[in-house]
Amino acid sequence: MSALGILGRFAAMLVLLLVNGVVLIYMLRKVLGRLHLRIGPNRVGPFGLLQTTNDVIKLLTKEDLRPDSADAWLFNIAPYLIFVPSFMAYIPLVFGPTLAVTNLDTGLLLAFALTSLVPLGVLMAGWSSNSKWSLIGGMRAAGLQIAYEVPLLLSALGPVMMAGSLDPARIVAAQSGVWLGFIPRWFVIPQILAFVVYAIASQAETQQTPFDMSEAESELITGFANEYGGMRFGFMYLAEFSNTFIVSAIGTMLFFGGWQLPWVATPAWLAPFVFIAKTYTGIFVMMWARGSLPRFRVDQMLSFCWKVLIPVSLAWVVVWACVQRLWPVVAMAVSR
Amino acid sequence: MTDDPKMAWAITAEGSQFPGPLPCGLRCIPRGVDELATEHLVLNMGPQHPSTHGVLHILVELDGEEVIAAEASLGYLHRGIEKLAESRRYHQVPTLLDRADYVSGLHTETAWALAVEQLAGIEVPGKASWLRALLMELNRYASHLVWLGTFGMDAGAMAPFLYIMRDREMLLDVIEAITGSRMMFNYVRPGGVVADLPAGVDAKIRAWLEVADTYLSENDALLGGNEIFRMRMKGTGVIDRATALAFGMTGGCLRATGVDYDLRRDVPYCAYPELDFEVPLGVRGDNMDRYDVRVGEMRQCIRLIRQLVDGMPEGEFSGKRSRVLKVPAGESYAAVESPRGELGIHLISDGGLTPYRMRLRSPAYFNLAVVDEALAGGLIADAIVTLGSLDIVLGEIDR
Amino acid sequence: MWGSGILKGFAITMRNMFRGPITVMYPEQKLTLPERARWAVAPRYDAEGRPKCTACLICVNECPDHVLNLEVSKSEDGAKHIDRYVYEVGACMMCGLCVEACPFDAIEMSHEYELATRDHGDLVRVLLRDVDAASTRRAKGGDDA
Ligand code: SF4
Ligand code: SF4
Repeated sequence: MSALGILGRFAAMLVLLLVNGVVLIYMLRKVLGRLHLRIGPNRVGPFGLLQTTNDVIKLLTKEDLRPDSADAWLFNIAPYLIFVPSFMAYIPLVFGPTLAVTNLDTGLLLAFALTSLVPLGVLMAGWSSNSKWSLIGGMRAAGLQIAYEVPLLLSALGPVMMAGSLDPARIVAAQSGVWLGFIPRWFVIPQILAFVVYAIASQAETQQTPFDMSEAESELITGFANEYGGMRFGFMYLAEFSNTFIVSAIGTMLFFGGWQLPWVATPAWLAPFVFIAKTYTGIFVMMWARGSLPRFRVDQMLSFCWKVLIPVSLAWVVVWACVQRLWPVVAMAVSR
Repeated sequence: MTDDPKMAWAITAEGSQFPGPLPCGLRCIPRGVDELATEHLVLNMGPQHPSTHGVLHILVELDGEEVIAAEASLGYLHRGIEKLAESRRYHQVPTLLDRADYVSGLHTETAWALAVEQLAGIEVPGKASWLRALLMELNRYASHLVWLGTFGMDAGAMAPFLYIMRDREMLLDVIEAITGSRMMFNYVRPGGVVADLPAGVDAKIRAWLEVADTYLSENDALLGGNEIFRMRMKGTGVIDRATALAFGMTGGCLRATGVDYDLRRDVPYCAYPELDFEVPLGVRGDNMDRYDVRVGEMRQCIRLIRQLVDGMPEGEFSGKRSRVLKVPAGESYAAVESPRGELGIHLISDGGLTPYRMRLRSPAYFNLAVVDEALAGGLIADAIVTLGSLDIVLGEIDR
Repeated sequence: MWGSGILKGFAITMRNMFRGPITVMYPEQKLTLPERARWAVAPRYDAEGRPKCTACLICVNECPDHVLNLEVSKSEDGAKHIDRYVYEVGACMMCGLCVEACPFDAIEMSHEYELATRDHGDLVRVLLRDVDAASTRRAKGGDDA
C-alpha cells in the first residue's frame, strides 16, 4: 500500500470518527430528550442540528486549563491515550464486501486489544489530575473496564468459532444465506447467550449507564474527567462516542451479519449503509438503556462480572465448542 | 502477631492512625498487605455537589470506596428565619416560613397558623381546615415527587426525574391556581386561609387524579420495580429503630424502621380526624424501606386528596384575619406531619405585635443528624443514596 | 424473574417517548397564568384613568421587605400629592400582602412575570409619579364616589 493510500485511509477514518462523534452526540441528546419527554436541542440551526458543531467550536476555543498540582506530563497525554486507541479501532471494521481500512487476519483481536487500552488512559487521567474525585473515578475505571474485557472477549469467541476465523470480513461472510430456508444465518440466533453477555459487557466497556461508574455524575461529578476542560475534555468525550460506535459495529459484525441484508443479496453500494444502519440501531438501544436504567453499585457490578458474566460466557464457550465438534458426528449418526 | 487474621488486622491497626474495621468485602487481610502503608482519603462532598440536594457539606472519610466516617457540616443556607420572625407581625411570618422548607411551604405555614391560633384562641371555620388539609396533601405529594425524582437521580436513573416533573407540573398548576404562587404560597394565615377554591380548580384536581395513579406506578416500576435499584437499596443505609428514636427522627424515615407514628393520625389537626387513610410502615429501616414507605404514602395521598375534594364542606374559608393581631403572652407548640416528619412551631409571645421568639422544629434537621451513623460502613454510592433517602431540604435545616 | 423489572422499565421509557414531549417552547409559546398568580405589583386606575391610590401609606407599612416607598407632599389645603411611588421590584417577593392590605384597592398583583432585565436600574420602578392622590381629587372635585 502506498504512503498516499495509507494517509487517505487515515483521513477517511478521522472524518468518519468526527462525523460519528457529532452525529452521535446529537443523537444522544435527541434520544435521551425524547425518552425523557423533552425535545432536546432545537435552537441552533434547523432542528438544533448545529448544536454539536457549535459545541465543538466552543470546546476548541476554550482556554486549556491544567490544575497547578496536576502531573503535567500525564495530564496532557491522557486524553490522547484515550482517544487514539478508539480511533485506531476503526481499522478492522468491515463496511462492505470490499470496503474496509485494511484486511487483517486477526482484525477482531486488534479491535479488542485497542479498546482495552482505554482504561489505561482513564486511569492516567484520573491519577494525574490530582483530584480525589478523579482518582476514585480513574480507579473504578481501571477495576471495572479491565474486568469487563474478559466477558467481552469470551462472548466474541462463539461467533469466532462458528466462522472459524478472527478476520471480521470472514466472520461477516460466514453469516450470509439462511438456515432452514428462512432464518437468516445471523450468529445471534444460536449465540443468543453470547450476545446478551456481549451487550452487557460492551455497555460497561463504553461506560454507559447502568455501568457508568467511572464518571457517575451523582457520585463523582464526572469522575476521571473532572479537571479537564476545553478540547482535552472534547477528546475524551469524542472517544467515548467513538467507542460506542465501535462496540456496536463489532456487535453488528459478530452477531447481526455485518453489512448484509437478510434473505437478499446485498449490492456493494448498499453495504456500508446497511452496516451503519445496523450499528446505529445498536447504539440506539444502548442509549435507550442509558435513559431507562439506574446505576449499579461498584461492588455489585464487579461481582456481577466475576460471578455471573465470566462463568456464563466461559461455560458457553465450552458448550458451544462441544456442540460444534459433536454436531457432525450426531448429524452423521442420525442420517445413517 | 497472632494467627487469627482478624486479630492481625487489629494489631497492625493499633499503631496506625486510622484503626478501623476490615475494608468492605474482606474477611481477612491478604498476606503482605497489612504491611502496606494505606491512607484514608478525606473527601469534601459539597457544598457544591450534584447529590447533596442543596448546599450541604459532608466530610467523608474513605478507605478506598468504603466510607469510614461522615460528618455533616451545616449552615450554608442560614438566613436567620427564626430571628427575622421576631420582627414580623404575625400574619407576615408565613412569607418567611415559605422559605424555610421551600419544597412544602404549606406545611410550615399551617404549623405556624396552628401555633398562633392555639395561643390566641382563634377558632377556624371548618372549611378552612379542609382547605388547609387539601393544600397540604397536594403539597405533600409534590414534595414526595421531588424526593422520588432526585432519589432516582442519586441512583443514576434520569428518566423518572423528568417524568415526575410532568406530574408535578400538574400539581403545581393546581396549587398556583389556588394560592397564586408555585412555591412561596403565603396562603395559610392565622385565622384561616387567604382565599376559597377558585372556579374550575376542582376539574383540574380531578384531571390530575385521573392520571396520578398511572404515573406513580410507572415511576415506581422504573425505580422500585427495577432489580438493579432494589439490589442497591436493600440492606444499605440501615438505621435501626433505637438509633432513629435516639436521634429524634420523624416522618417517613422513622416509619421505615417500624415505629408507627404519624401526627396526622396520632395528634390530629385540621381535617384529618374526618379522613380515612393508612400509615405505611417499614421493617428494617434501610433505603428500600424508606423508599417503600414514601411511595406508600404517596398512594395514601392520592386517596386523601380524593376524599378531600369530594367532601369539601360549604362555608366560610376564613375567620377574621387581622393584620395587627395581638397574641396574649404565653407559649404554644403546634406540629404538623410534613413530608419530612414532625414539623413543629414553638411560639413565645410577650403580648406584643410580633412574636417574642419563634422556633422551628425542622424534621429534616433531625433526620440529617443521623448521617454519621448511617453512612459509615457503606460505599460512596450507598452514602449518596442514603443521603437521598433521608429527603433533606437544606432551607429547612439551615433556616 | 430477575430482569423482568428492567425490561418493564424499557417499555415504560419507550411508551413515554411516544407520548411526546411536554416542553412548552417559551418564549414563542406561553402558558396562561391562573387568575390569582402574583407577580409584579402594579397600580390600579379608576374609570377616568386616574390612579386610585390615596397615599394612605398602609401598603408601605405592610410590606415585610420594605420594598414600597411613597414620597408624598401636602399642598396648603392639606391635600396629598404623590411625588413618587417607588417600588423595588428586584427585592419584592410577590407575597401580595400590600395588595391585601390596601383598603382602596389601588394596587394589584399583575401578571407581568418577565422581570429579567439587563439594567440594574430597571429593578427600581416608579409606579406613580407626580399625581394627586385620589382622596385629594375627591376633596377638590367630588367626582369620585
Ligand atoms: S408583594 Fe410583598 S414584598 Fe412585594 S411589595 Fe407587596 S408586600 Fe412588599
Ligand atoms: S396603594 Fe393602597 S395602601 Fe398603598 S398608599 Fe395607595 S391607597 Fe394606601
